[in-house]
Amino acid sequence: MTTATPLVLSQCEACQTRFLPSDTPCPKCGSTRITPFPVPAHGRAIAATELSTPAPGWSAPHRLALVEVADGVRVLAVVDGELPAAGAAVEVQLTGSIYRTHAGEHGSSERGEGESPRARRRGPSFEPPR
Amino acid sequence: MSVHVASLGIGRFGKRPEGLVDLAAEAAGLALEGIGRRPVDLLVAGTMLGHGVHGREPFLPRLAARLSLEAASGLRAESTSATGAMAFQLAVDALETGRFERALVVAAEKMTDRSTAEVTGELASALHPSEAAHGATMPALAAIVTQRYLERHDLPVSAIDAVSVHARARAEHNPHAMFRTPVSAAEVAASRPVATPLRLLHCSPIADGAVAVVLERGTGPATVLGMGQGFETMRIVDRSDLTTFAATRVAAQRAYEAARLTRKELGVVELHDAFAPFPLIHLEDIGVCGPGAAAEWFAKGWVAPDGRLPVNPSGGLIGRGHPIAATGLCGIAEVAAQLRGEAGARSLPKRPKVGLAHAVGGLASHNFVTILGAAGA
Repeated sequence: MTTATPLVLSQCEACQTRFLPSDTPCPKCGSTRITPFPVPAHGRAIAATELSTPAPGWSAPHRLALVEVADGVRVLAVVDGELPAAGAAVEVQLTGSIYRTHAGEHGSSERGEGESPRARRRGPSFEPPR
Repeated sequence: MSVHVASLGIGRFGKRPEGLVDLAAEAAGLALEGIGRRPVDLLVAGTMLGHGVHGREPFLPRLAARLSLEAASGLRAESTSATGAMAFQLAVDALETGRFERALVVAAEKMTDRSTAEVTGELASALHPSEAAHGATMPALAAIVTQRYLERHDLPVSAIDAVSVHARARAEHNPHAMFRTPVSAAEVAASRPVATPLRLLHCSPIADGAVAVVLERGTGPATVLGMGQGFETMRIVDRSDLTTFAATRVAAQRAYEAARLTRKELGVVELHDAFAPFPLIHLEDIGVCGPGAAAEWFAKGWVAPDGRLPVNPSGGLIGRGHPIAATGLCGIAEVAAQLRGEAGARSLPKRPKVGLAHAVGGLASHNFVTILGAAGA
C-alpha cells in the first residue's frame, strides 16, 4: 500500500455535499462555509484522454483523467505517466492548485461500482415526447 | 403574437479574408435584400471572440453603423457556441412584446486570424476555470464524454465515424459549407488524434462565418412555434451522467410544450455536432430515440435526406465549419431554408412542415432548442 498523503475534499457545512476541487464554493448550494474532509488518496479512473493541443500553460502531449475518489466525488486530474484505462486504480494528489494522478498501487476492488456501464439507468428529468 | 423568419442570409463559412464586421455585414445584407430593404427597428447581434481589426471591438455599434441602422435599438447576445441561437430567441422575445416591428439577427465569428493554439485557448474560456487550469480544452472534455457514451452503450469508436461521414456527405451539397468533399469511414479513422479517442475528422473545424435572419411579426412557413433553453453545471466533475445533456432535455421539453408538438411532427432537425458523438446524444435528448439507440439511426441511414428524420442536411458543424457564435443561428437558418423551400441543392426530397434547431453553449452548459414551422402545423 502506498503511504501517499491524504486527499482533502471539501465538505459543505450547509448541505454536507463533499466535492473537489476544494477551492470553490459548494457546487450544490453555493455556500462558502466549508470543512476539510481528508480521505485516502486512492481513486478509480472513469475516463482519460491524451490531447494534442492543451489549454495555455501546458505542453503537448497532455494527459487528463476524470477520477472518482472517495464516496463518488470526482476530480479532473493531470496524468503523470501512462494513460489509465477506464476503471483502473489511481492515486490522486494536489500539487499547488493542480490535481495530479498516476497509476495506483492498491487493488481496484475496494471501491464501489460508481457509474459503471449499464449499472444504472439514466433518469431523464422529463419523459421524452412520444 | 406570432413571429416568423421572413428572410435569411448565410455567408460562406471557411477561411475568409474579411474581418468580423465585414462578414457580419455581408450576411446581414443578404437578409435585408430578402425583405426589399424594409426598415428594421431592432438589431440583435452576437459574437463570442469579438476578433476585430484592432482587437476586441464593440461589435453592436460597429455593425449598426455599417448597416446604417442607427435608428434601431440594439441587443447583444453572448453564450459561447450558442450565441446565435440566443440572439434569435432574444429577438423573438423582443418582437413578442409588441414594441418592435422587424428585427435583424446577426451572428458572426472571425477565427482564422489566430493560430489554432490561440483559438483553442480562447475557446477553453467556455469551460469552468478550474478545469481549463488543468489544461482541459473543449475536445478534451468532449473526449471524456465520448468514452463514457461509448462504454455505457457498448459501442465501438466506428459508431461516431459514421456521424462524420454523414456530415461531409451532406456538406457536399451546401454552397456555404467549408468542406465540400465527402470522406470515408476509413479516412475518419485514420485522421490524426486530437484528444483520444477523438480524431481530427470527428471535430468541427475552426472557421470564419456569419449568418443573419430577419424576423417579422406574423406567420409564414418558418413561424416560431416554440423555444426553450436550459442550463447545466459547467463543471463536468459535478455531472453524475456524462452520456446525456440535461440542458438539451430541458430546452427540448420547453420547446415542445410551447409548440404543442411532439418529436413525431418533426420533418428535419439541425443538431450541434461540434464533435461527432454529440449528435448521438442530442438525438436521444430531444426524444427521437432511447438512450444508446442513436448510433443505429446513423448506421442505417435513417438520418439521410430521404430517411425517417433528416438530420443536419446542411452538413452540420463538421461539414460546414464552426464559426462559434454564428453556428447556433446557422442551424435555425438552415431549418428555415428547408421550410421555406430556399435550400437549393441541399433541399430535402419532401419539403418539411416543421423543423427543430438545436444549439450547445460551452460543454453543453447552456443549450437551446427552437422549433419552426407553418403556423397551425
